[in-house]
Amino acid sequence: MDTSTRNALCTILLLAVLAAVLYVFQKHGTEYQIRILNNMAIFITLAVSYNLVNGFCGILHLGPNAFITIGAYTSALLTMSPAEKQLSFIIEPLIWPLSVIQVPFAVSLIAGGIAATFFAFLISFPVFRVRGDYLAIVTLGFGEVVRVLCNAMQSLTNGPLGLKGLTPYTTLWWSWGVAVFTVVVITKLVNSSYGRAMKAIREDETAAKAMGVDPFKHLLLAFLVSAFFSGVAGGLLAHLITTISPTLFTFFLTFNLLIIIVVGGLGSTSGAVIAAALFAWGGEALRVVESPMNLGFITIPGIPGMRMVLFSIILMVVILFARRGIMGRSELSWDRLFTALRLQTKA
Amino acid sequence: MGRRKGSVLLAGLCCVAFALAGPAAAEDTIKIGAYLPMTGAVAAYGQMEWDGIQIANEIKPTVLGKKIELVLVDTKSDKIEAANAVSRLVEKEKVVGILGEAISGNSMAGNPISEAAKIVSVSPTATNPLVTQGKQYAFRACFIDPFQGEVAARFAVNELKAKTAAVIIDIAQDYCVGLANFFVKEFVKLGGKVVSTTYIQTGDQDFSAQLSSVQAAKPDIIYAPNYYTEDALMAKQARDLGINVPILTGDGAQADELIKIGGKAVEGMYFTGHFHKEAASTDLAKKYIELFEKKKNKEADAFGALAADAYFLLIEAIEKAGSTEGPKVRDAMVAIKNFAGVSGLITMQESGNPVKSMVINKVKDGKFVYVTTVNP
Repeated sequence: MDTSTRNALCTILLLAVLAAVLYVFQKHGTEYQIRILNNMAIFITLAVSYNLVNGFCGILHLGPNAFITIGAYTSALLTMSPAEKQLSFIIEPLIWPLSVIQVPFAVSLIAGGIAATFFAFLISFPVFRVRGDYLAIVTLGFGEVVRVLCNAMQSLTNGPLGLKGLTPYTTLWWSWGVAVFTVVVITKLVNSSYGRAMKAIREDETAAKAMGVDPFKHLLLAFLVSAFFSGVAGGLLAHLITTISPTLFTFFLTFNLLIIIVVGGLGSTSGAVIAAALFAWGGEALRVVESPMNLGFITIPGIPGMRMVLFSIILMVVILFARRGIMGRSELSWDRLFTALRLQTKA
Repeated sequence: MGRRKGSVLLAGLCCVAFALAGPAAAEDTIKIGAYLPMTGAVAAYGQMEWDGIQIANEIKPTVLGKKIELVLVDTKSDKIEAANAVSRLVEKEKVVGILGEAISGNSMAGNPISEAAKIVSVSPTATNPLVTQGKQYAFRACFIDPFQGEVAARFAVNELKAKTAAVIIDIAQDYCVGLANFFVKEFVKLGGKVVSTTYIQTGDQDFSAQLSSVQAAKPDIIYAPNYYTEDALMAKQARDLGINVPILTGDGAQADELIKIGGKAVEGMYFTGHFHKEAASTDLAKKYIELFEKKKNKEADAFGALAADAYFLLIEAIEKAGSTEGPKVRDAMVAIKNFAGVSGLITMQESGNPVKSMVINKVKDGKFVYVTTVNP
């Protein structure tokens, strides 16, 4: 059996195991466990797509929260029933035709992704005129603009009141399906000639240009693909928590994503997946340290915020001991795994 | 010892600490969950409310003959975390009632989960009308924003004897727009006339255009339900122009900054609000304020008082229901009438919103003083 057949078989096996695990949780898991798993998948989607721009292209882009917001609002406004919209928009009615439209969830997710991509396209022209810190500031500004617009455009977003009563469409199948799809697409892209060009731009833009790589074209591609998946993930997030408001997608969300991809390893998809999963699960698991503890001889009262302290310590430990994040720039792959196994048996 | 060994040891110690840290749950307790923003952007609200809940718990530590165990989970002022938190309270902690969240957006993320689990949840301070809309198990201890506008209109007509009013609205804030709409409705219903309506936006510095239109209309009062910065600046410019009619506003303006910015110009400004410690009329309120100030060494505030009321309402409902089953507690909650809480008499409505008395405060000698209570 040649290695490519072996790898394909292994991948199928892994997906089957994932599907089996999800099935078990869907059937027997508590609502709480399912929620954490959903969060995990959404954060994986967000981190992997964000990593495409920040990790593979080496661009410090600080506006994914804007695309997540656009995706979330688009998809929410498309799935809400006209009756629910009428109930929610109490200060100013929703503008026509959004007030009467209702589409299936899948369509709304794609629409969310497309809307995010469209806005990404619009801002890409000013954004890619600058580089480095300046680019970071431009994208950061865009994130804030979107938040303020969501607050101000009462007849479109319901302003600070937010939207509520979304149907909880986001199931494990949806969230993990999208996560797996995102990982597959991004991996394919990164391993293609486009991906190599992106990495070349990351290493040295001038040298890449000299070799005939068009930086704008490749950065735009990464930016748009990243925005699309962020938008879709935004739609999933909206239908998971069933309510959205402008304060849901602040800079803190971007900040969390940035931590995830740095800890996972900038420029490693598997690192982003691992770190996102740890982040979503760890945030809940660490709640233990905030509840009162009875150590037998002494009772420690719960201190809210201890999670954050511990989280920061873990972050520092990771950065101290693995300076390039958990995975660095390497990927988990079947080839590596089997090579490692072979070395182990030989030894 | 190598670095690696050191970190392994550290990790091991952490594991041991987790293993030992089992929850100290006794059998004869009733668990009440609280999900509050203890950290993050609005941590101040969460902390004030948790203080209030703790004091309320000391006053009433038992229900149905069992001890109440409070379980606090932090939401980091974040919606995703708020949804996780409620899910955790419901599934893992198996609470029978939930208190929180402090802000509307987060309550809207938490409520669908408690609703699905048929567990009553009471928010102390979520004022957005959408929070309880269409929900069976979602309640709040505060009144919703529109109600403040109505009460302000009644106060203007009955106490200030106003026949005409000028309304100045900050259109960038739904809170302000909501208050103003309901004020106008009620004011007109009571026979008043709105002679001037002008708009400002958060961040505006110059209000001369709006104020000259107000001056031309010669109203008996100005209703400006905006936040403190705009209200302070507006009051200053109004007094400079020689407009000396009383200014009435909502609780968003009642902050120390108002007096700092406005100085003499805001003297005599009236506010509608949730709570003032001098307005405390019920026994529970007196007990609460005394214990609060003794234990926490600070003045009792509105957030703490409303959180305590959320707690007392929930306990009262469980007591009346004689059970901790969600549907029964819910029915008992809806049936609560004239409950003497910390912030006054509270009657719960089917909608999940309470009808309750409101206090009117005023600036006098650079301080917020209590004027009167308007009953519903």
